[in-house]
Amino acid sequence: MRFDPGRTGALLAAIVITVAACSPAASTAPSEPAASTSPTAAPSEAPTQVAQVRMGIVGDESTLNPYTYVTGFPGWNLLMLQYDSLMAIDEQGQPQPWLATAVDVSADGATYTLTLADGVTFNDGTPLTSADVAFTVTYFQANTQSRFTRALRGVESVETPSATTVVLKLAGPNPSFPLRTLADVPILPKHIWEAVTNPAEHTFDSVTNVGSGPYKLVEYNSDQFYRFEANADYFRGEPAVKELVVAKFADDAGAVAAIRASEIDMIVRPVAPEQIDILGAEAGITINKGPQFTTTMLNYDTTKFPFDRVEVRQAVSLAVDRQDLADTVYLGGATPGSSGWIHPNSPFFNSAVVTKTDVDAAKALLDGINATDTDGDGIRELDGQPLSMEMLTPSNDSLRLRVAELVREMLLQIGIDAKVASVEQATWEAKIWPDFDVSKGRDYQLGVWGWSAPVQADTGQIAQLVHSDPAVGSINLTGFSDPETDQLAEELGITGDPARRQEIINRLQEIIATELPFVMLLYPDGAYAYRPDVYDGWIFITGRGIMDKISLLPPEARP
Amino acid sequence: MGSSSITGRLLQYVLVLLVAVTINFLLPRLMPGNPLALIAGADVGLLTPEQRQEVIERAGLDRPLIVQYATYIGDLATGDFGYSYRQKRPITDLIAERLPWTLLLTGIALAISAVVGTLLGALSAWRRGRFTDVASLGVMIVLESMPSFWLGMLLVSIFSVQLGIFPTFGAITPAAGYQGLEAVIDVVRHAILPALTLSILSVPGVYLTMRYSMLGVLGEDFIRTARAKGLSERAILLRHVARNALVPVVTVIALRLGFAFGGTVVVETVFSYPGLGRLIFEAVSGRDYPVMQATFLVFTIAVLISNLLADYLYPLLDPRARAAS
Repeated sequence: MRFDPGRTGALLAAIVITVAACSPAASTAPSEPAASTSPTAAPSEAPTQVAQVRMGIVGDESTLNPYTYVTGFPGWNLLMLQYDSLMAIDEQGQPQPWLATAVDVSADGATYTLTLADGVTFNDGTPLTSADVAFTVTYFQANTQSRFTRALRGVESVETPSATTVVLKLAGPNPSFPLRTLADVPILPKHIWEAVTNPAEHTFDSVTNVGSGPYKLVEYNSDQFYRFEANADYFRGEPAVKELVVAKFADDAGAVAAIRASEIDMIVRPVAPEQIDILGAEAGITINKGPQFTTTMLNYDTTKFPFDRVEVRQAVSLAVDRQDLADTVYLGGATPGSSGWIHPNSPFFNSAVVTKTDVDAAKALLDGINATDTDGDGIRELDGQPLSMEMLTPSNDSLRLRVAELVREMLLQIGIDAKVASVEQATWEAKIWPDFDVSKGRDYQLGVWGWSAPVQADTGQIAQLVHSDPAVGSINLTGFSDPETDQLAEELGITGDPARRQEIINRLQEIIATELPFVMLLYPDGAYAYRPDVYDGWIFITGRGIMDKISLLPPEARP
Repeated sequence: MGSSSITGRLLQYVLVLLVAVTINFLLPRLMPGNPLALIAGADVGLLTPEQRQEVIERAGLDRPLIVQYATYIGDLATGDFGYSYRQKRPITDLIAERLPWTLLLTGIALAISAVVGTLLGALSAWRRGRFTDVASLGVMIVLESMPSFWLGMLLVSIFSVQLGIFPTFGAITPAAGYQGLEAVIDVVRHAILPALTLSILSVPGVYLTMRYSMLGVLGEDFIRTARAKGLSERAILLRHVARNALVPVVTVIALRLGFAFGGTVVVETVFSYPGLGRLIFEAVSGRDYPVMQATFLVFTIAVLISNLLADYLYPLLDPRARAAS
């Protein structure tokens, strides 16, 4: 049996929308809430607290403690409703002071001195002090079954000169530290966690589930819902919504039906491109759109024929019409890729990098290296071998499959024959990224690939993406190697000065756009559906979407 | 039926179960890709080297295959289905939480389809060739060919989104805190649409079996004898025809029990119902292989139990089968 959840979900959704659109009731009035528990809505300008917001997620996030939550999104976002980090992401996606009101970095970039906010307590009344921060660092380092272990790996020592001062010493300078660690790691209450010896199997209940965050998890019902209650004494101010109910759906179509029936007030995941216009036209539902940092790109093995030739890579980049991909596959709900990797909406984007489509220039490049069609089959030959290969794409992702099919047509125009091979996700990963270990090489020629948002959000990750040494370039899946790139990537890893960082990042974007370690195709945009009559405070965080705890805080309490 | 034939038949079932368990054990180890990814799921790329080592040791992947197999059988025998690295919970807990909901849905659906299917089938055969028969036969064939997800979406769209009579999702209203009778009503309201979908899908099977079985019996000599004796049509229908015709129908219903479980995968997904079927769907979409293995095994056991039930019910209903064994 072969499942295709993405395709099935989209199909189901298309059907339910078709059915609804045909029904006469759809055009007259929005349906009344089916449940009698519909929340009392507050007028948007009034400062009064909204009584309840019901959100929909897909799947279960388990018991939502730092060791048991399931996904990076939205699991981490739900987790962080209950906990705080030392810094927090602002609307532009940049880390700002939070639990730490001051973050001082030493001149060598390896020592962080943090001053904690006064009067912060965990929601059981215990004060949050530097001892909790120190405990958190050592606990995550010692108990490795969590993503925060990796985030704290570079911390060599932690000192607590006073109850509100923490000094973190790193093994070396790490400019990504504020974003990847300080704004990511939840601070644990020492008095609760020091008794927990096997955190991955420790099922938390409403008594022990203690953090300093704006919400407290008070009810967990496996595969059905979570219920959170606001922490009225939150140190940044009382949350704007008193109670959050998070309903768990099996698929996106179920959540779409539920928001249309007013059984939920917001869908946490982005709405599929084909549903945006239909759902947005529904009375009482607003769609909030914005840039996201997930990526869709072409990866190839730059160490082997034919992609070891930079001219072939450049020809591929010139042949793909990124705007066409965004319009056709994503119905306009995607930002065309910048060949320099960085999203045009990112503050680090180098506007000097121009990405263009030019089929004639692509053909000229191939002609220039004597890659011509000698046997008249429409496919060029280079060094006696046809420019013919498989393009791997995961079978469970219908959008990537459509991207692959369009790219195939675009490449055929310049005489490159990239056959779409839709394979099981495990096979796709095993060929492009064997054992998830770049030092083990690659077993593919061409493939549609994509990274999750954090890789794009943290510009420091460029080093991991393009450095030729697997110890640094841990996600350099294309085997790219270039001495200037390596040197810049290393410098980026130790440079804290923002101006110099921007220079390096600008230069790296230029190199990536010409040397093409991969071909950036597009960045799917985020589109989120909610009912503004229930709660209208959602803000779109660049690259991350609207589901974040700062969306649930009054404006003056945000970073 | 002698005791030796009972043991013989049970042995057959144990053998089939063992084969199923073995295939279940071997599948993730034979599939392409890194076995680590198959055990730890989609997040394996994010694991630190220490975590990977921990997963390998915990799953016993560093031990010889035969040792792994023995451990696997031993764990299963003690009701330990392993650990879901994705859900971060013991799989036995996951199954225990979801099984009651699936039993509720399949129980209601089976009861409805058994009663409606049998009655309609009997009526249809009795009125063979007349309007009632032709109309119900036509409707049943249409129902039988309906894709379950389509039917489910249709019901949600009409009764939940448009009319607002029933909830669109779940088994209870989230965080409503209902008690007593209110809680019961809430569960019933949530179960109606998914149970209806499942019933609609299994009625035709029962109906068609009953109808053909009835038609067969109606043509038998003993029915002609009964008529010749001057028995009333009612007595013939109930005492002679229906009783004899029910024998194969009971078998079909018992077998449906196993397959009804399979039907819940789609229906529980459409209605986001927290049962075993949805657990399978989420395990497949999240590539949670240990959970897939465990739930497939539970489904296999359900089919085996329903077969066993059919095997043992048949002789009870049909004296000929008793005499033969």
